[in-house]
Amino acid sequence: MKLLTKTNRYYLLLTTVLFALASVVLYYGLYGALRNEGGEQLLNRRLYLERYVADSARLPANPFQDQMSVSYQPRRLGYDDTLLLDPLEQEMVPHRQLTFAVRVRGQKQWVTLRKSLVETEDVLTVVLGVMLSVLLLLLLGVVLINRWLAHWLWAPFSQTLAALRGYAVQHDNGLRFPAVTTDEFAELNQVLTRMSERLVADYEAMREFTANAAHETQTPLAIMQAKLEQMQQLPELANPVLAQLTTDLYSATLRLSRLHQALTLLSKIENRQFAAATALHLDQLVHDKVQQLESLIQARQLTVHTHVAGSPALLMHPGLADSLVHNLLQNAIKHNHRGGSITVAVSAQALEVNNSGPAITGDSARFFERFRKHQAASASPGLGLSIVQQICRYYGFRVTYTFAAADARHTLRVEF
Amino acid sequence: MKLLLVEDERSLQATLVEYLRHGGYVCEVAGDYQQALAKVKLYQYDCVVLDLTLPDGNGLDIIRTLKADASRAGVLVISARDTLDDRLTALDLGADDYLTKPFHLAELNSRLRAIIRRRQFQGHHHIAFRDLLVWPEQAAVFVRDQPLTLTRKEYDLLLFLLANPNRVLTKEAIAEHLCGDAMDSADSFDFIYTHLKNLRKKLQEKGADNYIRTMYGVGYKLSME
Repeated sequence: MKLLTKTNRYYLLLTTVLFALASVVLYYGLYGALRNEGGEQLLNRRLYLERYVADSARLPANPFQDQMSVSYQPRRLGYDDTLLLDPLEQEMVPHRQLTFAVRVRGQKQWVTLRKSLVETEDVLTVVLGVMLSVLLLLLLGVVLINRWLAHWLWAPFSQTLAALRGYAVQHDNGLRFPAVTTDEFAELNQVLTRMSERLVADYEAMREFTANAAHETQTPLAIMQAKLEQMQQLPELANPVLAQLTTDLYSATLRLSRLHQALTLLSKIENRQFAAATALHLDQLVHDKVQQLESLIQARQLTVHTHVAGSPALLMHPGLADSLVHNLLQNAIKHNHRGGSITVAVSAQALEVNNSGPAITGDSARFFERFRKHQAASASPGLGLSIVQQICRYYGFRVTYTFAAADARHTLRVEF
Repeated sequence: MKLLLVEDERSLQATLVEYLRHGGYVCEVAGDYQQALAKVKLYQYDCVVLDLTLPDGNGLDIIRTLKADASRAGVLVISARDTLDDRLTALDLGADDYLTKPFHLAELNSRLRAIIRRRQFQGHHHIAFRDLLVWPEQAAVFVRDQPLTLTRKEYDLLLFLLANPNRVLTKEAIAEHLCGDAMDSADSFDFIYTHLKNLRKKLQEKGADNYIRTMYGVGYKLSME
């Protein structure tokens, strides 16, 4: 719900309650005042009549027409409200009446004076009508003005929101906003600008750190590798013991270097350093990768079937797409048995790599953990599926592993 | 062949220079950006082997200078920066190839040869080794003037061996050369053995001598003797 709708709702609620309350108070206030007024008039007439009786020792014939009735029977004294038929309008009309006793020549008579409240009601209607219309107009005005103000006053807020929505720390420097006159929004923009600048600085520092860490580690590894290769050219290396030693050292160096590359890749994905994205032809990529790994596939005498049923419209960083497919395929080759098979299915919704292979014990949910290996002594760092998972997480894909025990087939499925 | 090696890491520099000189190149060295800049301004090289991260400057600026001077020199970048973006930036600026550290020396040599071949001979170049003759641009191989049919991988393997004659090539270097740098060190190297066996058989069928030697436990060598 919009902020404006919310505030308006409370405004309306308050105004309606006040409006109802004011109507009631106004009605009874006015009614009471007019009734008092009527009563006062009746009292004045009573004084007039009493003076008249005192002077002339009789009641006037009919000074107020039908507004006075005289009786010799005792009546209830004081003010009272009653309904009387108006002969002209043929309807019951409320009257205020005052009954009192006068002594005319020693004889007690009861006089009732009446006053129609019709005019009073008219006044009441008019006053109430005017008051309520004014209130209603005020209410409408408030709603309309609020709506207009919301557009006008809150415009900078909408702009800030749009700028924030389109902000990506990888591409932009700090957030910049046009100057605004409202203090609150100016302050908000200022805080956001400062925050984005800090974000950019942090991001840059992190990016530099990973780049430097990669450089600083790979350089000594490069030296080690080059020196070992030089060593292998020496005639002394004809000695099989020495040859074995250098070969082991050499492959350990390569392992370290690969491990480092994989870890750097993982941390880069986590740091979201792969902003660039291009349209991707997944079927083509799968085809290329199968060709690249052809030697490995042949060496293990595996057969690869590729089913293409449509290509998903994906926007991915080419390096990450390559890494995703490569790791899935390499995993399928590695955890296979000699003469086994691999089926790769590409559809618009998912990429599925299915391979034969020995059953794996252990919790399948943990296969995606870092350094998790099928065989503890394996030289593989066990980062392949972690990388797959990280890439999927980065792009919001869902990756699942299933194992069909019946025909001993492992399936890794990536849903886009 | 005259090369300029730009590398700030002394230890790596020494090994590379020794290796390249041994491979028959005339190799000059620059240890920092200013030296490198002075050298490329003063002399002509066939190829510049360039590290990007230098203590006093960016290697990419050397490429810019070379291109601005319309230099004939090829550029092979060797860098520890391994992202696709770094690679693309260097190649866009006009580098001929990009090799990520750490690399195999044999791979460096193979790429250097490819660059020089492309730049200097415009395809009119052949590699002769004993009774072998290879025309790289046509991917044609002849043994004693008879054409030899090889699979793609066998041909790549032969070319890799020919680029590094009389040097021990490790199985790891061969595997990476054939399968790209995504080769996992944990993968088995059986397939190299298969490819080599087939290559040897085909060469022998045409009457070539057996000059591919197995260096037990280490790798293989194309022997001059």
